[in-house]
Amino acid sequence: MVLKTLHVLGPLHGYGIARRIEQISGDLLAVNQGTLYPVLLKLEQEGAIASEWGASENNRRARFYRLTREGRKQLQAETKDWEQTAAIIDRFFEAKAEDLS
Amino acid sequence: MKSLRRFLSRLGYFVTRRRDDERLREEIAEHLALQTEENLRAGFSPVEARRQAMIKFGGVEATKQDYRAERGLPLIENLLGDLRNAARTIRRMPGLAAVIVLSLAIGIGVNTTILSWIQMILFHPLPAVSGASNFLLVEPRAETGGYPGASWLEYRALQAQLSALRDVVAFQMVPFNVGEKGQTERTFGQLVSGNYFSALGLQPAIGRFIRPEEAERPGTDPVIVISYDYWQTRFHGASEAVGQKLRVNDRELIVIGVAPREFQGTMLPLKFELWVPATMTPALLGGTRDLEDRTSRAFSLIGMLKPGATREEAQVEFSAAMAQLARDYPDANSGIGGDILSFWEAPRGPQRMLISGLAVLQGVMLLLLLAVCGNTANLMLARASTRQREMAVRVALGAGRWRIVSLVLSENMLLALLGAGLGATLAVWGTTALRVAPMIGSFPILFQTRVDALTLAFAILLGAACGLIFSAAPALNLARLDPQDGLRSSSNTPPRSRARKVLMGVEVGLAMVVLIAAALFLESFRSARQTDPRFRPEGVLLAAYDLSGRNPNEASEREFAARLIERLRSLPGVEAAAIATNVPLDLHGIPTRSFTVQGRVRTEAGQDRAISNTVTPGYFKVMAIPLLEGTDFAEMRDKAAPAQAIVNEEFVRRYLNGADAIGRRLQTRAGSLAIIGVARNSVYDAFGEPAQPAIYFSYRDVPWDQGQIHLRTRSGNETALTSEARAVLRDLDPMLPLYDVRTFSQHIDRNLFLRRIPARMFVVLGPLLLGLAAIGIYAVVSYAVARRTREIGVRLAFGATSARVVLQIIRENLGVIVWGAAIGWLLALAISVHAITKGVVNLPVFIGVPAILLGVATLACWIPARRASRIDPMAALRHE
Repeated sequence: MVLKTLHVLGPLHGYGIARRIEQISGDLLAVNQGTLYPVLLKLEQEGAIASEWGASENNRRARFYRLTREGRKQLQAETKDWEQTAAIIDRFFEAKAEDLS
Repeated sequence: MKSLRRFLSRLGYFVTRRRDDERLREEIAEHLALQTEENLRAGFSPVEARRQAMIKFGGVEATKQDYRAERGLPLIENLLGDLRNAARTIRRMPGLAAVIVLSLAIGIGVNTTILSWIQMILFHPLPAVSGASNFLLVEPRAETGGYPGASWLEYRALQAQLSALRDVVAFQMVPFNVGEKGQTERTFGQLVSGNYFSALGLQPAIGRFIRPEEAERPGTDPVIVISYDYWQTRFHGASEAVGQKLRVNDRELIVIGVAPREFQGTMLPLKFELWVPATMTPALLGGTRDLEDRTSRAFSLIGMLKPGATREEAQVEFSAAMAQLARDYPDANSGIGGDILSFWEAPRGPQRMLISGLAVLQGVMLLLLLAVCGNTANLMLARASTRQREMAVRVALGAGRWRIVSLVLSENMLLALLGAGLGATLAVWGTTALRVAPMIGSFPILFQTRVDALTLAFAILLGAACGLIFSAAPALNLARLDPQDGLRSSSNTPPRSRARKVLMGVEVGLAMVVLIAAALFLESFRSARQTDPRFRPEGVLLAAYDLSGRNPNEASEREFAARLIERLRSLPGVEAAAIATNVPLDLHGIPTRSFTVQGRVRTEAGQDRAISNTVTPGYFKVMAIPLLEGTDFAEMRDKAAPAQAIVNEEFVRRYLNGADAIGRRLQTRAGSLAIIGVARNSVYDAFGEPAQPAIYFSYRDVPWDQGQIHLRTRSGNETALTSEARAVLRDLDPMLPLYDVRTFSQHIDRNLFLRRIPARMFVVLGPLLLGLAAIGIYAVVSYAVARRTREIGVRLAFGATSARVVLQIIRENLGVIVWGAAIGWLLALAISVHAITKGVVNLPVFIGVPAILLGVATLACWIPARRASRIDPMAALRHE
């Protein structure tokens, strides 16, 4: 989700990512926003994203995260994976009893 | 790939210890600020807006912790933290830590030392030769089961036929007389086959080695390779040594090379200085037919397995080759088979004896280490319970069980590894102690033991194992802790600690086994020093000569001995002089000989055997062994008297049922002899041995080319005779060196050398273990007493006398101790009876050791018990 958000919106700070995830999920995913930061760190260590200091909308120092080339590749791979998984699950839900008999 | 990158990044953080918590703090602040603004826009009051933002963000501290956990290497960070903590804890208890570390160090050090000895024999039987453990002994086996060695011609045949072995090499050990006339020196060397050095894979320090073609034709290549030490001491390490001449057994040989530094030949643990082609044998040892006689089995053979070949294949080939030889040469080879053996199974040399002895020693020492572990576990357990509150606080603050266990574990491991490190240092010292071994018997011996990677790993492994063993109990104990219980003011219903008591019992039991083993050992050593050998060693000087390089025959040997004795007897200060072939209490024992004696019919199968020693007249006077009946041997030059023998009391008792022995005929391989005297029994092979039957032969009847000169003089004055004895021998034959000069007391001391090392170990370890057991018991009892202060207070308040209280505490604890001790005692008794003394029980040891151990144990119980009984009941009841 983090990767996709960054992919769509470009470089963004932590709060922005959290807001965005909240908005897209329609407030259905109301996790603690704090848990986002360890995830960001992990992605950065893996090289999927990079970060640097920048100025936020109200001109305060904020850390901006952006997708790296590695991250883009990872996003593609994961998107494909997910689509596959989703497709399989879909088929299960669409299958009706008479199809099987 | 991804995880590797992540690991490296984490490692980077970990190593650089970058503390950029700052970054997270700023990010969180920014996050909250943005959220608060958002909430303000949504119409919240400023305070409420901030509150909502905080709620939405979740636990800041928890986030920080997760963040930190993601960033570094928490496992290692925790471990380091634990270690730092452990180091702090240990520094707070220096006394206890010192006891633990020292006792472990000694336990581990001793074990490592012994292992290094064992591994030297098993894995490094040939110093300086790489892959030495791949070499196998190729030993022809006689019908009797003995290994007589191989003949040269046999070797040449086997070399061609054993295809599973690469380059079989042959060698025999020879004492050489090296040097110019009048100043010869006895030096040990090996006569070797031409492929000797190349097969061992050695490179010369300088010069070259013997070439295969130099050991083809008899006597044509007078070349010699010298050892590194010999090069250093005799040639001062000069490179001009190569090409110089060396006079060996009165023949000039040309030095062609120097062996590598640590190479000491191929008969561990003997140290050789010279190597000469085997084809020089007839030139150097006049009159031998070693090279053409198939019955002259003088050589030892070794060979390395070819890659891919197995020992079984080699054995099959060897058996087939020996069977073929038996068909081709029935005279010399019929009935002779062969075995492929490992080095430690060597039929000659002390390997077998050393390995079994060392294995027993190692077993005992591992038990000792286990006892030390038990003791440490107990100390740690006692300490752990005083730390219950600390641990309870940790658990209450959120430490997981595993964190507690790892905390305790890291403390104990640190102690254990400190012990292992110190132990390894001790082992380095211990192995060098064996390296300085002197000549044993008349042979130069060198054990090149060292602490190498394997022994070091063993030490660390032992340390880790010890750490695990003694931290298990306390760690589990603390991890099971209920924080509420632990924080409550404790000790109202003290849980009786079964674990502690069981450990105490086990420890006492182990201590009992080890102490008894130590005592038995020391006892045998002490008796070795104090038992009356039944001859008088004081005032006797021993020295050896060897005519084997001088082409002797029976007549010349007899004449030489006769003249030597005459000259020696005339020396001032010499009370008596004699020559014998064997000296009692030699490391390798005195040979026995089979015989038949008139008046005895043997009913069971086999042969009667007796210790045999060949001596000149006057021997019994020198040794102060009284002749109970009959007379001494006839003088050396007496040609009229028939062959004579003197037997000892035990011989008469065992083989003649005490009947009159004088005049009876004795038949041996050497011929028929008349018994002319009976000598008192004396010690032959070892102090404390059961009486052995012995036959003395006369030098006059059976002269030898070698002899041990015995000179009796005023006690304390022996060494003064050395130079005069040397002069006498030089006068008789300038090419002969007098060697192995020593007083009889030195002779005895030297031969007890191998027993002295373990004896010294036990002298140190016995009291140490006793002390440790006492400390362990003391710790357990004083802890138990401290926890029962209130109970004891109540008892005292109700009128119990303090004596009763003391008695009760001692009785409670001594019960467990006695159980442990009894089990250990029975174990030791069983081992002793079955394995060591073979049915004889050393009562003083088996009564004395338990008495001392239980005495010490009682004392260790009594001190804390007495302290407890002295408390003021009022104070005790107010306690806590």
